[in-house]
Amino acid sequence: MNKRILLISLTIAVLTVLAACAPAPTATPVPAPTSAPAPTSAPAPTSAPQATAAPKPTEAPKPTAVPPTATAVPKPKDIVFWTQFDEKNMDPKSDSAVGNAYLRDTMPQFNKQFTGKWNWANVQKDFSKMNAELVAAVQAKGEVPDLFQISLDINTFVNNGTAQDLTAWAQAQAWYKDLDPSAVSACTATNGKLYCIPLSIRPQVVLVWKDHFPNGYPKTPADFLTQAAALKAKGVPALTYYGSTFGDGNGITRGMTTMMFSFGGKYDDGKGKMLLNTPENIAAIQFMREIVAKGYVTESSFAGNFQEEEAFKTGAVGSFATGMNAYLFLNTLKAPSGTRYAKGNLNDYLDALAAGDTYLAPFPAPAGKTPGCNLAASGIIVPTGSKNLDGAKEFINWIMTPQQNPQFVLGAVGGFPALKTSLSNSSFQTPYFKQAGQVMAASNCRPWFGTLTKPSVAQPIIMTTLYKLIKEDPTADIAAALTKAQEEYNKDIK
Amino acid sequence: MSPNIHSLKKQSWFDKSLPVWLLLPTMLALLVVQVYPTLYTIWLSTQEHDAAGWKFVGLDNFERLITLNQFGESVGLTIVFLVFHVALTMLGGFITAFLLSRKIRFSGLFITLLFIPWVLSHVIVGFMFRLMVAPDYGVFTGYLMDPARFPPNGLSILTAVPPKPWIPGFPFPPAPAMWLLILASTWRALPFVTLLILAAIQMVPAEVVESSRIDGANNWQVIRHIVVPLILPTMVVAIFNVILNGMNGVAIIFTSTGGGPGTATQILSYLLYSIGWSRIQFGRAAALALIIALVNWALILATLRFTKIEEGHDQV
Amino acid sequence: MNGPSHSFWSGKSRWVIYGALITIVVLNMLPIALTLIVSFKTHEDIIRIPPQLFPCDTPTQAFDLSACRWSLEGYDRVLMLQPSQESFWGYDMTGKIVATYGGNTVLYAVVSSLFVVLFAATSGYAFSRYRFRGHNALLTGIIAITGVPLLTNLLALYQMGIGIRTLGLPYDDRVFIILVYVGFFLPLSVWIAKGFFDAIPRDLEEAAMIDGCSPLGALFRVTAPLAAPGMIAIFMLTFVNVWNEFLAGYLLVTKNANKPVMFGLYEFLGQNLVNLQVVAAACAIIAMPVVILFLFFRRHFFTAMVEGSVKG
Repeated sequence: MNKRILLISLTIAVLTVLAACAPAPTATPVPAPTSAPAPTSAPAPTSAPQATAAPKPTEAPKPTAVPPTATAVPKPKDIVFWTQFDEKNMDPKSDSAVGNAYLRDTMPQFNKQFTGKWNWANVQKDFSKMNAELVAAVQAKGEVPDLFQISLDINTFVNNGTAQDLTAWAQAQAWYKDLDPSAVSACTATNGKLYCIPLSIRPQVVLVWKDHFPNGYPKTPADFLTQAAALKAKGVPALTYYGSTFGDGNGITRGMTTMMFSFGGKYDDGKGKMLLNTPENIAAIQFMREIVAKGYVTESSFAGNFQEEEAFKTGAVGSFATGMNAYLFLNTLKAPSGTRYAKGNLNDYLDALAAGDTYLAPFPAPAGKTPGCNLAASGIIVPTGSKNLDGAKEFINWIMTPQQNPQFVLGAVGGFPALKTSLSNSSFQTPYFKQAGQVMAASNCRPWFGTLTKPSVAQPIIMTTLYKLIKEDPTADIAAALTKAQEEYNKDIK
Repeated sequence: MSPNIHSLKKQSWFDKSLPVWLLLPTMLALLVVQVYPTLYTIWLSTQEHDAAGWKFVGLDNFERLITLNQFGESVGLTIVFLVFHVALTMLGGFITAFLLSRKIRFSGLFITLLFIPWVLSHVIVGFMFRLMVAPDYGVFTGYLMDPARFPPNGLSILTAVPPKPWIPGFPFPPAPAMWLLILASTWRALPFVTLLILAAIQMVPAEVVESSRIDGANNWQVIRHIVVPLILPTMVVAIFNVILNGMNGVAIIFTSTGGGPGTATQILSYLLYSIGWSRIQFGRAAALALIIALVNWALILATLRFTKIEEGHDQV
Repeated sequence: MNGPSHSFWSGKSRWVIYGALITIVVLNMLPIALTLIVSFKTHEDIIRIPPQLFPCDTPTQAFDLSACRWSLEGYDRVLMLQPSQESFWGYDMTGKIVATYGGNTVLYAVVSSLFVVLFAATSGYAFSRYRFRGHNALLTGIIAITGVPLLTNLLALYQMGIGIRTLGLPYDDRVFIILVYVGFFLPLSVWIAKGFFDAIPRDLEEAAMIDGCSPLGALFRVTAPLAAPGMIAIFMLTFVNVWNEFLAGYLLVTKNANKPVMFGLYEFLGQNLVNLQVVAAACAIIAMPVVILFLFFRRHFFTAMVEGSVKG
């Protein structure tokens, strides 16, 4: 092993230096001292000058020995794909176990089909910093993957020059005409060009325990307040959602936006500037203030770390406003009635829904408004500086086939497949997807950031402002706080 | 290239220039890992990256950083955090050290047990403290969430909002989560401070203490007038260490409060991480990094100055 | 810690001191004890509401020692032992925290500490024995360097790491991270080493040089052994620092195979948000080596800490 050689050589180096006492000092010539402490860029193991003519055993086995790229053996070329999943993680109870298992099953299929040509090299990245890691790698012209899984807004990558323009290539492909238009729009930047290939679209939905809302989920905010009050009397909060600022405002991509949009709210003025101070937004915030103050919302909604899911998993809350991929993470469920769904995989929620214990609903909207919904797209971008463009494109063509697209969507990222024909796949004919489809049709689903060009900057600003108005300081002047927040963002936009 | 001539003399050229060779590796390592990055950060703080590449923007990064709504709040939070962290650590360290300074049985065992937190990683320490009060499942959560004890809804440390500030705009009193963070950081720093003070106390000459006792001084007077002045330089060094570590550590925040609830525990170092690696604004993060570094240097200079005065005009 | 005994306390307060110290120690150990308790719980007991301190309650009794449901579930999921024919123990550890990341961290910690000791020894010696131009300025400069927060340098090191990779050199994350650790932990160590050398009389070296050693030979033959306890102290201090370091490893190591253990732990935390027993077990396993090391070498740690900060 490399490490062992390194350790041994270091020990030798230290011992050599320690023995540096010449028995006959005047006679022994001192070796050219300039050779020893050569200013190398690595932490030169031998840089302590040697006083005697000792051999230098430590020069060769530096730990730099492994060049990353393979030599010219007829080996398949790597298609480096950064994802949040790790095919080598066997832990069946890991939170991302479903995606890990998908890769474990699917990668060999791809590698078999392209034997000798391509090799799907998955590189798992820490979810909370993979975006920054990619941007930094591209900006510094460093080691860039060939493909990158995004669940974020495309504008951040375009704005940083991180994603390649795929418009012309994609339009020439057979599957392009089959793409759902809303999926295409989610991958299209404000400049009108296509920068990612959508694999799935994930609308926001509300997951409802039937025992707590037996007569259907409320249709209007007023109705919601009445039913929530009744639940509260039984000691059950009506709603849980990602309401914390955890993850630098990631909650804005979830239930928070569902509620804001249901009141007709929005975050931009349609021309790239942030616009928060609108009557609709203020009405939404007032509603959220009310449900929080009255105790209709779980306290864990504000705890971060996805703690808000827990109350739903145990049936201790009436409903959960979240993305429709939540079934991937809601493992081991207990319905309010006590029925357990404990397979520990993605089927638990799907089973509970098929059994009628839970259903999906749009969020209540005031009269004259359509229920809101943030539309997130999962997709693949080809980063600027990708070294295997051909492989990347062939991979995309492979994953966009009617055989593969449904699998990736179902097993890895969740949501509806971006290809219309995939939708007819039997996997998407289950009650869960039918209900989700109905919810989506009844809602106005669009990406939360609209025309904002720097979503990664806007996200913490909006989320912090909303959180503070709703939870931290429910008496603060809403309009003033919203104006202050939008000014802060707009100052950055030239 | 031919140093043999020099070896004719008693001291070779190599031996005479020995200090240079002895210092060279250290200097090289520090140049690469410390000096160059600092210079790079100065450059970076004047740059902004757009779709085309890096672009010089002068002092824009500083200006926009300071006008961030969150910046002022973060400065306030940092001050609150540091004041209480330092005060608690010094007080705790002082008391523990005094208790240990008396020759007693098992003092070795006490010291050993007290010191274990010091070898634990900040990542682990943060998690340990979160574990105690984690929503729903924390060890103390059941106790704290009892409405009878903490009306009306129980106390949820990690989500409770901060009380109304006494001075508008200055985040004091802090949120319960901030106390948790202060407690965790203090728990980790306490052994270090205790040891420093203990070492200093043990260097106080016994005769001085004895003679003052003969003069009729009581315990409190001995501590107040003899011991404290003598260990003051050490206390200052300890304070300086605690501030530096507290100011620059983010790992505990990562695993305990995550900066929340809201922005209630987002001290400057966490804001720096967030601007750099979440908002992906490296230039602005560099500007903040420089501001933090300047404060650190000011602290170091002040400490060096102070210890010099205290030690008379000795060499450092 | 064997200093002179002081009598700030009059004789009768002995039991007060014991009482106070025991209270402090118990409070101090509480977070560790709680974490260990959690690490031995089953998942069913973790997600009980309201949470119980001990998993020892029965439907009839609040605490029944014989009914305790202790479990190794958490440890099992960290180590992920899988039966294996090839392994000597009959099991393979497939959990990456110990099997991969733990090994990486041992490598980083050992190698960085060796370099830090070597460099700190040579430069500490130079500062202690020679008066040269810029002597004091350099010493102060080294202390000033510690004022640059790690986070500041990380912005640049992060970009540097990416940059170096593009030069096409045979590059390895591991070399870079070791270099960074050496640079981070050197300044303090130089001061500690200087303190140790200051305490060693010069006559010994001079005698050795008269006997035929070169100055460097005298350093390593005569002075170094005397300074050995100090060097061990520096080694231990650096070892623990590198072991526990999180942010640099998290941001600078890009290859999954090279991740240090704290990175692995943080990621593990993100994958097991409610599996508290698993994360607690991981913490216990990761902290164990340094705690044991500390128990064995505590005197060296104490010396290093006192030297480093009082002199600094």
